[in-house]
Amino acid sequence: MVSLSSYLFISFALFVSGLAVMIARKNIIAILLGIELILNSAALNFAAYTRFVNQNLDGHLMSLFIIVIAAAEAAVGLAIVIRFFQIKETIHIDDATQLQA
Amino acid sequence: MDYTIWNVAPIVLLPFFAFAINAFIVKRFTSLAVFISCGSILGSFFFAAKIFFDFLNKFSENYYIHKTFTWFDLSYGDMPFKMDMGIYIDSMTATMLFMVTGVAFLIHIFSTYYMHDDKRYGRFFVYMSLFTSAMLALVLSENLISVFIFWELMGFCSYSLIGFYYEKEGAGNASMKAFMTTRVGDVFFLFGIIAIWSVIGSVSFVDIYAALGAGKFDGLFALGMPLATLAAICVFLGTVGKSAQFPLQVWLPDAMFGPTPCSALIHAATMVAAGVYLSLRCYPLMEAGQITYAISVIGGITAFGAATIALVQTDIKAVLAYSTISQLGYMVLGVGVGSYNAAFMHLITHAVFKACLFLSAGSVIHSLHDHHTHAHVQEMPRMGGLRHKMPFTFFAMLCCTLAIAGIPFFSGFVSKDRILGDALLMAFADKWYWIPTLLGFAGAFLTAFYMFRMMFLTFFGEPRDKELYEHTKKETLSWNRNVPLLILSLFTLGVFYAGSLTGQGFVKVAGEKYEWFKTLIVKPDVTQFATRVSQPFSFKPTPSGLTFEKSKYDSSYGLPEEEAHHIHHVHHIGALVSIVIAFGGVFVAMMMYLWRKWNPGFWVNTFSRWYRALQNKYYMDDFYLKVVIQKGLLKINNTLAYIDMGLYDRYVVDGMEFVNRVMFTISKNFDDAIVDGGVDFTGKSVKAFNVILRTIQSGKIQVYFIMIVLVLTGYILKLSL
Repeated sequence: MVSLSSYLFISFALFVSGLAVMIARKNIIAILLGIELILNSAALNFAAYTRFVNQNLDGHLMSLFIIVIAAAEAAVGLAIVIRFFQIKETIHIDDATQLQA
Repeated sequence: MDYTIWNVAPIVLLPFFAFAINAFIVKRFTSLAVFISCGSILGSFFFAAKIFFDFLNKFSENYYIHKTFTWFDLSYGDMPFKMDMGIYIDSMTATMLFMVTGVAFLIHIFSTYYMHDDKRYGRFFVYMSLFTSAMLALVLSENLISVFIFWELMGFCSYSLIGFYYEKEGAGNASMKAFMTTRVGDVFFLFGIIAIWSVIGSVSFVDIYAALGAGKFDGLFALGMPLATLAAICVFLGTVGKSAQFPLQVWLPDAMFGPTPCSALIHAATMVAAGVYLSLRCYPLMEAGQITYAISVIGGITAFGAATIALVQTDIKAVLAYSTISQLGYMVLGVGVGSYNAAFMHLITHAVFKACLFLSAGSVIHSLHDHHTHAHVQEMPRMGGLRHKMPFTFFAMLCCTLAIAGIPFFSGFVSKDRILGDALLMAFADKWYWIPTLLGFAGAFLTAFYMFRMMFLTFFGEPRDKELYEHTKKETLSWNRNVPLLILSLFTLGVFYAGSLTGQGFVKVAGEKYEWFKTLIVKPDVTQFATRVSQPFSFKPTPSGLTFEKSKYDSSYGLPEEEAHHIHHVHHIGALVSIVIAFGGVFVAMMMYLWRKWNPGFWVNTFSRWYRALQNKYYMDDFYLKVVIQKGLLKINNTLAYIDMGLYDRYVVDGMEFVNRVMFTISKNFDDAIVDGGVDFTGKSVKAFNVILRTIQSGKIQVYFIMIVLVLTGYILKLSL
């Protein structure tokens, strides 16, 4: 029997690795990937808690919302990255300085 | 006589619009401007003539027309402060309008001859139009304020016209002198208006008459005299300034710097007459103020003194200037002795013959042209024998000289004799009146003498400057010179003003004919004005004004037969004496200057000190310049200047500056140190804090991620603790 804590452990691992990718990597696409990992860890948390704690479909519904949001976020994020690449010819995060004060 | 505004307003407005239009077109369309000026005066002459003949034909009803509109009304509660403007026409106004427009028109015509070659030909007519409209407006004025307004406007025109030849040396000073001297009188006139206003709250002539009739002026005191006396003195001083009476007569001789036609209009016929006109208008006030004796003495002194100065003048215009002052003295003498209609009559007759004299003199001056200096000649010692060269001018001037000298059948005799007759009447009644009366008679003798001296020196004898005489052209028949002269000289005949020898006049009263002057010009009877009805100023005909009874003064009416007989008797004595002294004066002039039997040089040598005094105008100019101005006014001015500059400026103004400087230093330091320092401190501290905060805002997005994580971690730790 797979317990709740194993789900949470995987979720935690996903979250930490996503966070690490977001902070450590300089490639914007990699950062987007890191965000996807974090979102997925949150979705996994919802699914796990709904399965083991209150036995209804609220958590699943929330997971589906997160998947949709992640897809939309990925689309917008990639569009921004493409525009950024067209302007700067790079996708290095430290070159994204135009909004810097 | 139902008058609307359209009967009256054009009299003033035509010349005024002529002025307004001409002021703009005169440079480009000079001859059109001149035409407009002359035409406008002719137009107002017709309107004035209608009013005049209406009064003449309907004299027995003896109207006055009084229409007003409210100029402003600042009444508050029971404090009335209301000013009306309007017109007041009685028989005197009507006569005056007729005379002014007629004489002004003829002078305008003459000016087209005299001024034609002048380089400021058009501008002259601009001033003349403005002047004439101001004079007519003054005559029509209903109250003293509007009289004062137009009085000053005439003063301005006079100033402009005296200084017309401003290139000439002295013209500017002369115009300034005329302006400033009359200003002295005007200030008093304004005081008089204020005094009257303070009593009755109105300055309308009709209100003044009504107030005098109701006795409102009695018993009010100011400066230790009744207020009526104060007001009368002040108003009369206005006359003294404007009509060149002693002691403010000094401006008029200098005013001869102006072109001769303007002298004819302004300094002989109209403007100086405005002063006498004002005195006559305010005659009831003078009477109530009991200053008539003083007026008569001033008139007598002026009449005699100016005549003596005229004896020694060699400039033809200067003679006429002094004779003008002298004749104005007679008018004022007439006012003083209560000779109301004779004083006014002398005003009218004098206006006509003096205008003609000036125009004749202008004609002479214009013809005499010195080819060496390129100037016109005014000096009588260079003339002589001119009657062969200019017969028309000679004829006109002779008529006028006969008139002014008081030869019977001429206008001057009629009016001057009546004034002197009334003066004699007063002298028989009150011995103090002998002073002005005798001065008047002596002046009449001198008048006859110096006028004929002028005639003989100018027109008779051998030409004294042969070259000048040869160069003078024979007088041509130019209509714009001769027609005005001949018309004016025709009206020097006494028959136009008085009745015929048998006492028959032009106007009918109850089937009998009377002199128009005696019946028409009557002293306003103040008791009749209590029930006045002021009519609104409207465009519709309104019923004509009140009527009032004929004056009790007039010797032809209402007196007991014995008294009337006495008056006639005295007048006959006066007339006889006048005739004798007039012919005496003419005779002496003939002996000295025509037949050369008596040598004038003998008199000059015998009375050389007096001769010098006369040549220096009794040193009055010097007196004013050296004593009044230098010793008096300049001293006062210097004192005032010292108070202003030495005391006020030095201590008060500079002291305020010092105080301000100290205050400034204190406030500057406070401002710099505390206010400014506080503001700066706020800014600087914020700036310093910014340096710290700025370092964490690196713009690197991953740093922000780390911060978010740290903050969230901290938050979770805090929750879990």
